[in-house]
Amino acid sequence: MAEQTIQQETFWRFSVLQRTVHLTVMFAFIGIGLTGFSMAFSSMAPARAFAWFLGGVDSVRYLHRLFAVVLYLCVVTEVLWLIYYKFILRGNLLGPHSICFTKQDLSYFRDHIGYILALRNAPPPFERFAWWEKLDYWTLFIGMQTMGLTGLLLWFPEFFSRFVPGYFINLAQVLHFDEAVLAVLYKFFIHTTVRHFRPEVYPGDWTIFTGKTTKEKIRRTHPGEWARLNASVQANSAGER
Amino acid sequence: MKQRLLKSALAACVMALCFLAFCMVQFTNADEQISECLNCHRQRNLNANEGILSSQLFCYDCHLNPASHEDFRDAKVSLQVKPEYFQQSSHRFVACIQCHADVARSPHRSLSGVTCLQCHINFLGAPGTHASHIRVRCEACHTDSQFVALDIAGNEVKLSHTNVESLPISLAEHKTTDVAREEFCTKCHASNNQVGAPTMVLPSKSFVCIACHYSPLRMSNPIFLVAIIIAIIGIVGTLAFWFRASVQGEVSSVHRKFQLGSEVVWSKIFSREFFSIMNTIFFDVLLQRRILANGVSRWFIHSLIFYSFFARFALSSFTLLLQKVSPGSELAMMLVNKDSGFVATFNDITGVFILAGVAWAMFRRYVSKPEYVSTEEQDTLALIIIGLVTLTGFIVEGVRILITQIPQQIALSAFAGYLISRILSVVNINWQWAYGYLWYVHAMLWALFIAYLPFGKLKHIFTTPLSLILNYKKE
Repeated sequence: MAEQTIQQETFWRFSVLQRTVHLTVMFAFIGIGLTGFSMAFSSMAPARAFAWFLGGVDSVRYLHRLFAVVLYLCVVTEVLWLIYYKFILRGNLLGPHSICFTKQDLSYFRDHIGYILALRNAPPPFERFAWWEKLDYWTLFIGMQTMGLTGLLLWFPEFFSRFVPGYFINLAQVLHFDEAVLAVLYKFFIHTTVRHFRPEVYPGDWTIFTGKTTKEKIRRTHPGEWARLNASVQANSAGER
Repeated sequence: MKQRLLKSALAACVMALCFLAFCMVQFTNADEQISECLNCHRQRNLNANEGILSSQLFCYDCHLNPASHEDFRDAKVSLQVKPEYFQQSSHRFVACIQCHADVARSPHRSLSGVTCLQCHINFLGAPGTHASHIRVRCEACHTDSQFVALDIAGNEVKLSHTNVESLPISLAEHKTTDVAREEFCTKCHASNNQVGAPTMVLPSKSFVCIACHYSPLRMSNPIFLVAIIIAIIGIVGTLAFWFRASVQGEVSSVHRKFQLGSEVVWSKIFSREFFSIMNTIFFDVLLQRRILANGVSRWFIHSLIFYSFFARFALSSFTLLLQKVSPGSELAMMLVNKDSGFVATFNDITGVFILAGVAWAMFRRYVSKPEYVSTEEQDTLALIIIGLVTLTGFIVEGVRILITQIPQQIALSAFAGYLISRILSVVNINWQWAYGYLWYVHAMLWALFIAYLPFGKLKHIFTTPLSLILNYKKE
């Protein structure tokens, strides 16, 4: 975003694609969670009621798989985006603008914990994505692979039991459920709390929905990115002169 | 603001509590009610292999015996189940009484036959061919018996209990058909068959047929693939042409153009202008206000075609959705069956409307020729394609009604198709043979429609609503 000048108060942080993917993932995740747990806890009255409301367990199963396909299409979109970012836009996957983890994140993590424990005076100069933002992204990204694999085993047990022993299906069931609990706990509690319920951003951080962020916010939460923006603007204006 | 939030939170809590109370009343005792009946009427646990095998053994007691038979027209028909077939089949872990649901009683006789669809609820979901065989009983194809019969009164194709020489045959073997074998289809789809099947083995409908008919989500035939590839080339070409123009001052970078363009779309969707866009969609796109402003007869002609197509698309998409979400439900089965009263009448009415619209438009363009109507070749081509697709559709329907010998009271729902079938019955042609070719003509015309979509007049189906939506402010 080199063409933005330092005078602007608002900055674009997320593109329409990223916002759309986030919204889709958000609703599909809620949907897959509701349908999944209503099947996992099918002996309980609210789960039965929910299944009845959707037209029976067959519909719940169908919707669960539909949401799964939608979620996985989002993952595919992200992979395609990363390829596009790397090869068409010539972006650096390990650069400061990338969502990928780099070595520097480790030292930032150490410094950040130090800051939280009051061992340091200032938080580290986070770049475009801080370590917990990357963690949010990659937990879902990697979680989708394992959930997808165990989910496929449960979706097509006859097919997969040609290659793997039968107990893999039971194993997949256990892992699918356990990781579902983990994912829901992470997304509905940790992610939501960190992104929206912290005192700094309460009642919500709308950046991922509107795509816009402010000068003040970048300066505070992503100082490294801010410094880089300033440097590029200065370089540009120096070039113009 | 806070008070409103508090109030809505309170309302949500009350609603959630009501819902929970409802759940408690409605769903808690479900199991106990069932177990009440089963307290006395004990049966084997058919949910476990042990119960199933013990239930099977109970039937095998007689039905394994080679001497078990029934007397049918002075002949002995074997009732022996061949374990070498049954134990190879995918039903080997299913109890006999789960399929032959009404035989475990006295007298020991089945009235309903096997109940395949009780388990195979989603039978329409699998291969696309099932939907067009809705009146054919499952066992007629899936049992390895050469002899099938058409029950005209019951409007069913089922296994015959007799062979060609009218001698009784045994159906008790339980040998299932290998669906990969060609004889699977050709035992009915042969020339001069008695069950009303066309001679040609036709592919199922393709997903592009969803514009007018319920169809499975599959490509089905290469002609549709070719049509779609041509259409995609046209669409990509059109889009590439559009994106050659500048977007908000950006002239070179396509990436930036996309970024800026999508930003505009996003900001419109999530703003108050969304409602004025919806307004445009409702009045200009759906009600076609602008065409009405051009003239009532023009609006009438366009509506006859547009609403009919729109309604058919809406119904077939709804059917597909319902079939996916609630397979086997009564409504889904009714909507998938093209002979059911509602669907047949609906399809015929909309078809007649489209034909009337095309005929009226042709009349205005070539006979009455009012001054304000200017005719280009493109318009004629589009009208001819739409007209021919609909006309061949009716002919195919008429031939189908004729050869399948659907009872009159059912066939009459498709009033136009039935009329055509009566007219065609006078013509002495082997319609079973002709049906396949007519079907392909209809399908190829539709493939032509798809392929032609992004190139000629027909692209207005997408471009006109788009430009109306983009120019919504200029009202």
